[in-house]
Amino acid sequence: MATNTLSTENKFTWGGGKSPFSVSYGKLMMWIFLLSDAFTFSSLLIAYGFIRYSFQSPIHNEIVKPLAHLSDNFVEQMQQAGLFVQDHWPSPELVFNHFPFVHGMHLPLFFVSLMTFILIFSSVTMVLAVEAGHRMAKDEVAKYMLLTIIGGAAFLGCQAWEWSTFIGEGARLYENPFGPKSFAALFFIVTGFHGFHVFSGVMLNVIIYLNVLNGTYEKRGHYEMIEKVGLYWHFVDLVWVFVFTFYYLI
Amino acid sequence: MEHTEHLEHTETPKDMKSQIWKTFWILFAFTIVDIVLYFILLPYQNMMKNWVFIILGIVKAYYIVGIFMHMKFERKSLMYMIVLPMAFVVFLVALMLNEGDFTNLLRWIK
Repeated sequence: MATNTLSTENKFTWGGGKSPFSVSYGKLMMWIFLLSDAFTFSSLLIAYGFIRYSFQSPIHNEIVKPLAHLSDNFVEQMQQAGLFVQDHWPSPELVFNHFPFVHGMHLPLFFVSLMTFILIFSSVTMVLAVEAGHRMAKDEVAKYMLLTIIGGAAFLGCQAWEWSTFIGEGARLYENPFGPKSFAALFFIVTGFHGFHVFSGVMLNVIIYLNVLNGTYEKRGHYEMIEKVGLYWHFVDLVWVFVFTFYYLI
Repeated sequence: MEHTEHLEHTETPKDMKSQIWKTFWILFAFTIVDIVLYFILLPYQNMMKNWVFIILGIVKAYYIVGIFMHMKFERKSLMYMIVLPMAFVVFLVALMLNEGDFTNLLRWIK
């Protein structure tokens, strides 16, 4: 028990011999970084909300029903039907309605829901890795870290597919066949910024995973680094919850 | 006393694993609710509808930050340091959604 207390002390005390907030220095700084990053994403999403409401709301779609057949010139059809016009925000269900390997079927928001589940799931494997780290179970930490990396990579792959489909339909930073130009511009900026965070997270996870395999944390006596990177990874998931809410639902 | 406090914070609840999975299913369910509500509310356009989705988002955030990011088990002072500033952000969201609506109105007056 005495040694246990000692190692905990070493792990959490700061240079001054105390640990403010009862957390290690690195963990507190990660929280402060995440708060600042939350402000960055908030500003992007608030800008989205503002621009979204400075346009007319989407025209209600009564033409295309879920699972209906999608023709190759779907965007032009919708333009002619008056659903994609310049002064109305496009309805996300009509824009994000594709799914990989399913060609020509109207599947509104199916793919983006799948992306959400992938990210939530990789968040779960991350927190399981943290939990295994508390028990010093090296093999379990490694297993869950690998699953987290796979989840993150899968999400990035999905996003790449989503972007290429959107670009393939004619959306650019400066051009948007679905309606107001700022719709496409905001899409690329907001999801791009989030995707960059996911990419950084996957890179951090890979470094941590290699360290786990090398036994770095085993030698250090604790797996706190997993917790710190875990905080970042959960934050990325948290941001996606709000990107999903603002971009696809509002 | 100091020592026990230190240890208390490093120790995770005994049933952490089951709590993690419970949280996962809660998040999963809320996401499904989100999507179903989106399609139910699709014909209606008003601010109330947006707040339904924003509040659902905040509920999901509570579970992610509280359980996954371990915030529920940290010191209260740390929690307030991180959570309170975000409350003002929610206020800014409310302001800017309304402000956007007014901008839209001005476009039509012109």
